[in-house]
Amino acid sequence: MIRHLPVLLPLVPVLTGLAMLALRDPRALAAVDVAGSLVILVLTLLLAGTVITSGPVAAGPFRADAVALPFLFLIGFLAVCAAIYTVGWMREELETGKIKLGTVRHYYALFHAFIATMLLTVLADNLGVLWIAMEGTTITSAVLVGLRGHRGSLEAAWKYIIVTTIGISFGLFGTVLVYAAAAHARGDMSGDAMSWAVIAGMSKKLDPGIVRIGFLFVLVGYGTKAGLAPVHMWLPDAHSQAPSPVSALLSGALIKCALFGIIRFHTIARGACGEAFSGRLLVLFGLVSVVVATPLIITQRDFKRLLGYHSVEHVGIVALGLGFGGTVGTFGALLHVINHGVTKALVFLVAGNAIGRYRTQDMHAIRGLLAIAPWTGTFLLMGAFSLAGTPPFSIFVSELYVLRAGLGGGHFVAVAVFLLMTVIIFGGLIHHAGRMAFGSPSASAKAGRDAGSTLGAMALLAAVMVLLGVFLPSGLERVLSRATEVILG
Amino acid sequence: MDGLAPLGVAAARVALLALAAPLVTGIVQKMKATLQSRQGASVVQPYRDLRKLLRKGTVQSDTASAIFRAVPPLVLAATLTAAAMVPVLFLPGAAGGARLPLGDAILLLSLLALARFLLAVGALDAGGAFGGMGASREMTVGVLVEPVLMLVVFSVAAAVGTTELGDIAARRSLAFRAPDLLALFSMMLLLLAETGRIPVDNPDTHLELTMLHEGMLLEHSGPGLGCLVLATHVKQIVIMAFSLAIFFPEGLAQSLAPQAIAIAAGAFCLKIVGLSIFLALVESSYAKLRFFRLPQFLGMGLLCAFMALALRLL
Amino acid sequence: MTPALAHHLIDDVGAMLLFTMILILGAGQLYRAIYAVAAQSVFIGIAGGVLATATGNSDLWVIAGLTIVIKAVALPWLMLRVIARVGIRREIEPVIPISLTLAIAAAIILLSFYLSASLGTVRQAITGNALPVGIALMLLGVLVMVSRRKAVTQMVGLFASENGIFFTAMAVSQGMPLIIEIGVILDVILGALVMGILMLRVRSSLDEDIADLEQLKG
Repeated sequence: MIRHLPVLLPLVPVLTGLAMLALRDPRALAAVDVAGSLVILVLTLLLAGTVITSGPVAAGPFRADAVALPFLFLIGFLAVCAAIYTVGWMREELETGKIKLGTVRHYYALFHAFIATMLLTVLADNLGVLWIAMEGTTITSAVLVGLRGHRGSLEAAWKYIIVTTIGISFGLFGTVLVYAAAAHARGDMSGDAMSWAVIAGMSKKLDPGIVRIGFLFVLVGYGTKAGLAPVHMWLPDAHSQAPSPVSALLSGALIKCALFGIIRFHTIARGACGEAFSGRLLVLFGLVSVVVATPLIITQRDFKRLLGYHSVEHVGIVALGLGFGGTVGTFGALLHVINHGVTKALVFLVAGNAIGRYRTQDMHAIRGLLAIAPWTGTFLLMGAFSLAGTPPFSIFVSELYVLRAGLGGGHFVAVAVFLLMTVIIFGGLIHHAGRMAFGSPSASAKAGRDAGSTLGAMALLAAVMVLLGVFLPSGLERVLSRATEVILG
Repeated sequence: MDGLAPLGVAAARVALLALAAPLVTGIVQKMKATLQSRQGASVVQPYRDLRKLLRKGTVQSDTASAIFRAVPPLVLAATLTAAAMVPVLFLPGAAGGARLPLGDAILLLSLLALARFLLAVGALDAGGAFGGMGASREMTVGVLVEPVLMLVVFSVAAAVGTTELGDIAARRSLAFRAPDLLALFSMMLLLLAETGRIPVDNPDTHLELTMLHEGMLLEHSGPGLGCLVLATHVKQIVIMAFSLAIFFPEGLAQSLAPQAIAIAAGAFCLKIVGLSIFLALVESSYAKLRFFRLPQFLGMGLLCAFMALALRLL
Repeated sequence: MTPALAHHLIDDVGAMLLFTMILILGAGQLYRAIYAVAAQSVFIGIAGGVLATATGNSDLWVIAGLTIVIKAVALPWLMLRVIARVGIRREIEPVIPISLTLAIAAAIILLSFYLSASLGTVRQAITGNALPVGIALMLLGVLVMVSRRKAVTQMVGLFASENGIFFTAMAVSQGMPLIIEIGVILDVILGALVMGILMLRVRSSLDEDIADLEQLKG
């Protein structure tokens, strides 16, 4: 069975989604949701165990190697936390009438379809399947973004689907070019020329000119999906208008899957064109993302939009880590993927609770969270400090790795700019979070306790966040080291 | 051929085209009328109009100078010289070893441009508002049209290797490659612009807001106007014959034998009638574009011609 | 069919693809743009047929047939029905003037040919001028999408862009594996469906064109 796990893993959420379409009772749906996500997480851990001990597991066009593991774990863990959160959240939404009873099962089914497409993206060995899965994530998540049906969400969904579909078609073009290079180098024709493992193996023999153009297209294309500036415009809209658990997965997992695609091509480009080319491009895009996001974070009023721009900045940091390169930089980038995913999901879930309570996304109207909802307020403060890069939280550790890689590689200007932006964002974030948490609550805020499940989910995420900030479990460290080796070729 | 024989051939060609030109306009008018369910004027009406104009007296404004009087014959002369260069019936190698006179494509386009320029100068000289406006508009169209014409010529010349019209016609093979289709599309747009037909200009109107070409003719009268009207007809048939020579040179006589010339004459008439049908159809199907939309319309022609040339060279 | 003949035919199809792209760029009326992209998809189908005969890869016949049925008939028909239902006919003046758009288009075409010429022997892996035309079509499709204000024209630009990618993909050696191309077409259909549904929802509930919604800013 282990050998078939790469195929089984995406199948689980598909079956879960189909099962959900047949149910009607919200509580049954919530239960199936949590159960399905738990199965995904367990299978992921099983797969991780096999891959670490005996190497990559391949089944047909799917392949699980060390690089895929951090992403798989992120998706599975976030799915579980979101499912637990949704138990309480969905009850709230139904009570306040924001979601109709008939739409609930569609929401759940789409959610799991979305998870399935993300798993497919990470497990794909065939570059074409990677692309198809990525387009699948766009389509499912666009429907989820526009599910609420009001003006803002429809506008966001339209912009999202149009911009990311163009972006991904650029990625497809880049894929075609790399495939052309591989087919030319192999001489003979076979479907193997689409397999990443095969192409990475012969990357030194590929023609550098066409791989260069191909990588550029892939970087712009999949970078659009990842939220790299300057093609990040859709991200704040989509992530702010989507329902909160969906936002958590969008910011936490989906943009990382797009980064996964870029990482795959980065390995190929390193072999074909030398290390400098793709590294320099990644540093450039990463820096631009960080710089562009900063002013918009400071002056932001909408809570979830703030978080969206913050995701842009952190995707930039991951790109910087990959671009600085070397073992330290790549390790740091992969660690940052997990850390940011966990933290951002936590803060989005907090936002979901806060917005449900205050019925607005405007940060100036949300005040006194600690007084009304002490646990949520605490998690808000923890999450804000973590996002700003403070110890003892996880993001501090991974940012430190990236900084070390930058200094070691001599990119002093980039590191200086990065540090400056981080300091500015630190100030802005703490200001916003402090204003929301402290003070006396406004009269329109709903009193009452938070749903237990929502707090449970947030606690889970916060625990991992603190854990990874304090020490790195040896299992995780082994996975990340192995992944770094694979990426660097 | 030595001595004055080439001149004689050229003069004969000019006379032939000059005589046939008003007939072509008459055919187009008649077809438009038929398409619009009208009776329409007879096909030889343009001849009658020319005869009427030649008999009338001349009136000119006080501010006009000698240039104004000199413009009509000069324009007619330039256009007729252009007519001397277009292959109508035979190819250069038709007279055995000696070469029959035909012209260079660039020279032909330059002569037509000269005619346009003289017309505009004359219109400005008359000092009227319509003349000035018509002249400025016509020159704007000229700026847009002439580079495209050049590009079309170059794209064809790049394939053949020379801009000599006769050689282009001679070496043109039947096989149409896609860049030629692009150039042909461009040429069709230019045909509408150069002959002053809808959607570029309305040849039937005398309303000031819609005039391009008519604006420049407004101040002239009598025989001067007759010259200019004839020049317009001749320019039309020259441009038509020019595009036929570049794109559809089939039927041109390879030798001076009588039956070859007869076939060539028949083929030429057929092709001209075909183009006339095309012009009549376009004029009846579309509305005149606003003047500010002309750059876009001609810009498409420019892009197509540019791509035709680029695809040829790349 | 000899490789040289296939090369020539692909060159011709490429020129016609660029021609239809120009028609899309210059289209003032929406139905003209839709017909132009339908014609473009027909040419892609023809290219598929040519390549199938030249390389003997029968998968390309399937792809050519699918492209014609779906992208030349079904999707344009769908779009025509959407604009009939919604009642818009004319494209309003785009964000950048059409003359400037045409100039940028010329620059993009030149850039694509230059990029393609700068490659070495790997250029032979892609038949004819499929690579530069593919790049040009893709970038020009993006140009249409960013410079137009009506949602339908943006979708047309998207389809044109994907035509460009298809053209290059088909011409690489012996074409991409069938599964991939079918998957791509499926994704295109699904994407188009979702976009159409979004457009109609906005139209029916808000009575505006979805591309005009500009509330989310900053």
